[in-house]
Amino acid sequence: MNNLYEALEVCLREIERGASIEAALLRYPDLADELRPILEASVDAANIAVPLPSETAVQRNRAKVLQRAAQMREAKAKSSQRTWFVSLRRLVVTVVVLLVLSVSGTGLVRASSATVPGDNLYPVKRTWEDMLVAFTFNLQQRDALEVEHENERLQELQELFAEGRSAKVDFNGSIKSQNGNLWIVSNISVMISDQTELRGQGISVGSAVRVKGTTQGNNNIVLAEQIELLPAGAKLPDTEDEPEIQQEKHEDPVQQFEDSSNSGNGSDGERQTVEETKTPESESENNNESVEDGSNNTNTEWGSDSNLNDSHENESNDNSGSNSEDDSSLNSNDSSGGGSSYESSDGGGRDD
Amino acid sequence: MSSFNERHALDGLQRLESQAISAIYDQYFSEVYRYVRYRINDDRTAEDIASDVFVRLLEAVQKKQGPQSSLKGWLIATASHAVNDHLRRQYRRPEEALSDAIPDGRPSIHSEVDLRDRNRMVQSAYAQLTPEQQHVLDLRFGQGYSLEETAVLLKKNINAVKALQFRALASLQRQIGEVNHE
Repeated sequence: MNNLYEALEVCLREIERGASIEAALLRYPDLADELRPILEASVDAANIAVPLPSETAVQRNRAKVLQRAAQMREAKAKSSQRTWFVSLRRLVVTVVVLLVLSVSGTGLVRASSATVPGDNLYPVKRTWEDMLVAFTFNLQQRDALEVEHENERLQELQELFAEGRSAKVDFNGSIKSQNGNLWIVSNISVMISDQTELRGQGISVGSAVRVKGTTQGNNNIVLAEQIELLPAGAKLPDTEDEPEIQQEKHEDPVQQFEDSSNSGNGSDGERQTVEETKTPESESENNNESVEDGSNNTNTEWGSDSNLNDSHENESNDNSGSNSEDDSSLNSNDSSGGGSSYESSDGGGRDD
Repeated sequence: MSSFNERHALDGLQRLESQAISAIYDQYFSEVYRYVRYRINDDRTAEDIASDVFVRLLEAVQKKQGPQSSLKGWLIATASHAVNDHLRRQYRRPEEALSDAIPDGRPSIHSEVDLRDRNRMVQSAYAQLTPEQQHVLDLRFGQGYSLEETAVLLKKNINAVKALQFRALASLQRQIGEVNHE
C-alpha cells in the first residue's frame, strides 16, 4: 500500500511539472489502472482552485478587521482604567484595614498577653499564639515557639496557684512520678480521681501527656479531668530537667499527700494502700537521699499545700523542683515552686 | 512583502497596532480566502469567514492564546475550523445548502460538458467528503502546498499525509462518479 501512496505522490509531482496523466503513469505500468482514476480526480481537484480575491474584497475586509481592532483598543483602554481604579480602591481599603488592625489588634493582643485561664481576654492570647505558630515557617523557630508557649502554660498555672484562683487549665508535660492518685507532671501536682479520663495506653512515668483539669483554690494542685498520652515529638515545657532534683521531689508530695489525707477527710486505711510508682533509678536514689538527708523530705514545693499537709512552716524553705541545689539564690524567682513566693511577688491585678 | 517580520508583527498585534494588523492581513488574507473559498462555493461567505479568521486572531492574541510557532499554520487551522462550523450549520438548513452547492443535474446527462459544469460537479462531489479529506485536498490542490508543507499544517507525518491524500482523491473520484450518475 505504501508503494501505491508513494507512486501517487511521484505521479502528482510529474503532473504538476506539466506531464500528462498517461505520461506520469508510464513509470508504474502495474499500478496504472489503480492510479489513473485517482490522478484524474486530482486534476479535477486542482481545477476547482479559486483565483485570488479581488482588490475590492481585500480592502473591504481589511477595513472590517481594523474596525474591530479599534473597538478592542477602546474596550481595552476602558478596562485598564477600570482596573486601575479598582486596584487603587483595593489598596486604600487594605491600608485602612491594616491600620485598624495594627492599632486595635495589637493593642488587644498586648492587653491579653498577661492574662491567665479564666480571664476574658485569655482566648485572644491563645489565638494569637496559634497565629504566631502558624505563620512561623522556620521549623526550628516554630519548635522553639511551641516550647515557649508550653512554658507559658506552666507559668499561668503558677500564677493561678499564687492567686488561689480556680480555673479550667490545659497544659502539656512529662510525668515525673505517679504516687497513687497524685501525679507530678512537669512540676505540677495533678490529682487523679475516678472521673479522670485517661486517654492512651501505657501512661507511665516519663510519658508526655496533655492534662486538662481545674486548679483548686488555694491548693497548688490541678484536679485532672482528662489525661491524654501525647505522641512522640510533642512539644513539652523545658522548665526543669534535672533528674536528681526531681527524684528528691518525688518522695515528698506522696508523703505530704498521705499526711494530708490522714489528717483531712480521707480514711487512714484507704490512703495507706496508695502505692508509689517510680522509675528504678529514682527509687534507688530516693532511698539514698532520704537516708542521707531527711530534711529534704519536707523542703519542697508540695510543702506549701496547705490543704494537703500541715507543714506551712516549711514554706520559708520552699524551692522549686528544678532549683533545689541553689535554694538561697533562686527562691524568690522560682517559676514552678510553692505558693508563698508567688503570693508575695504576684499580687497585682489582671487585665480582664 | 519580503520585509514582513512575523515576530515583530505579532508583538504589534498584541498592542493592537493598526500597522501590524495591516501587515499580517496583507500577508495572509489571500491565502486564507482561497482556502475558505475552495471549500465554500460562495464568494461573500468565503470573504466573511476569511475576515472573521483575522478577528479571531486579534482576540486570541489578546487572550494570550495566539500562535506559538507558525502564524500561517494558526490561520489555516482556524480557517478550517471556521469552515467546518459553517458547513455544520448549513447541514442543519439543507434547503439553503442545496441551492448553490448541488448542480441541477441536467448538464451531466450530456456527453460533453464544459469546464464550468465539470467544476460545479467536482465541487458538489467535494462537498460530500469528510472535513479532513476536504482539508488535505484544499491544502494540496487548492493552495498548491507541497507534501511537506501540508504535513506541517496538518501536524501529521509525511506518510500519513500521503495515505490521507490517496483516500481523499479516491473518495472524490467515487463521489464524482455518483454525482455523474444522478
